[in-house]
Amino acid sequence: MSTLTTGGTVGLGVRRLSATKEPDTSIKSYPELAILVDISACIGCKACEAACQQWHDLTPPIMTPEEVVQRKIAGYQSHPDLRPDLFMLMKFNEVETSKGFAWLITKYQCMHCREPGCLIACPAPGAVIQYQNGVVDFDHSKCIGCKMCLVGCPFDVPRYDANNKPWKCNFCIDRVEAGLEPACVKTCPTQCLTFGLKEDMVEKGKKIVESLKKRGYENATLYDPPGVNGTGYIYVLPHGDHVKDYNLPESPRVDASIGLWKGPFKTIGSIALWGALIGAFLQLILWGPIKVLGGKEEKREEG
Amino acid sequence: MAVESTKVYEEQIERFSAFDRVLHWVTALAFLYCMLSGIGIAYPKFHWLLTFLGGGEFARWLHPWAGVVFSIGAVLMIIKWARDMVLTGEDILFLARIKAYISGRHEELPEAGKFNGGQKLYAWIVFISAIVFFLTGIVMWFPENFGIGLVRWSVVIHEIAFIIAGAFTIIHIYMGTVGVPGSIWGMIGGKVSATWAKFHHPRWYREVKGE
Repeated sequence: MSTLTTGGTVGLGVRRLSATKEPDTSIKSYPELAILVDISACIGCKACEAACQQWHDLTPPIMTPEEVVQRKIAGYQSHPDLRPDLFMLMKFNEVETSKGFAWLITKYQCMHCREPGCLIACPAPGAVIQYQNGVVDFDHSKCIGCKMCLVGCPFDVPRYDANNKPWKCNFCIDRVEAGLEPACVKTCPTQCLTFGLKEDMVEKGKKIVESLKKRGYENATLYDPPGVNGTGYIYVLPHGDHVKDYNLPESPRVDASIGLWKGPFKTIGSIALWGALIGAFLQLILWGPIKVLGGKEEKREEG
Repeated sequence: MAVESTKVYEEQIERFSAFDRVLHWVTALAFLYCMLSGIGIAYPKFHWLLTFLGGGEFARWLHPWAGVVFSIGAVLMIIKWARDMVLTGEDILFLARIKAYISGRHEELPEAGKFNGGQKLYAWIVFISAIVFFLTGIVMWFPENFGIGLVRWSVVIHEIAFIIAGAFTIIHIYMGTVGVPGSIWGMIGGKVSATWAKFHHPRWYREVKGE
């Protein structure tokens, strides 16, 4: 396919492209990468947010204290939600848990699903790319601005700008390609963020969960949702029974409706429209056009 | 002695007024753009169609606006034509014997009025699909302003409407051009020949002639 050009022979290697046949990936292969977010080590300093904006040259507007009060985000969060010029956001929440009052923090951005809803829903060939290392990225030159990535995303992540193009965390793919860790990981002062091979991150996460359990957080879990075949950001949640309060969906999956219009309905549509076209042609050659039949009227005397 | 001859031309009957024709073609061209760009957007194999429709970004931009034109046109059509399109028992009989119609066994069919059962069926497909296209299309146009569940199912319903309306539109275009010779003049110029009217729409012909 002509769309299969991203990466070329020296690049990252492509695993999947939107609206394109699954490419042959046997030539170039690369193991999956992941960032482990150990929330038990997070102090909510938002340095990752600042580093993200700095690396990507983003300048989202700073909210005034009045706006902060108005939006009821209690002054912890820098913004109420993701924006096209804000790829990641620290979300804060205060809840009562079985352990008493808790301050829940979540690093919120594109999760880099291994089964990405945006890529599956995207109808523009090559506009959404999944690299061999699992990172999901957008190619604006191929994007037509239909917003289907937003419809397909189980995490409500892509945000459209005034040019009608979507933005999100790209895992600092430019840094990763050059052998560097993503900006947020680089800047994290508490080692809450770790970057590495996915299997290593899972192993490390499991160990942290075990130690948390020993320390009395018996509900601690590793968030790596199987519904989207795992993610590129995996989270150690000390209060694993409060997934929703962390602003994370409990069992995210690519919605059934996406599979329906991408799968069976495309087949039915093709059959219906080609069928109508072929049917009309068959009518033409089998019986011919429905012409005015000539001839004289026969008048019969009746009764 | 010179032989004098006067030519007698075939009688022409007005089938669609100028307003009808303009309404039909504005709606039709808007729908055609929506259909082709929709195929280009939704079916990756036909992505190349968008190149001929102004490019991917442009086609995606124009598709909803063309949809608005189509929807307004369809609503005017409903106001203007819905009463003519009510399906009667005879129309049902016509549809049941559609095989006789397409295979040219004209004598087995009930006499049609201004519109036959097939035309009426297509009219209702346009009327209903226009409303469905519009409502689901608005949701898909501004997905940020609606619940994600509603947006997701709107895409599915938009697609179902496309499958039905698209397939029938192909048949409509075929019947209006090649399939039924002479019918195109009803929408181009607006007049059909009396012979054509008498054969295809005898009850309408008699009404027009006041018989």
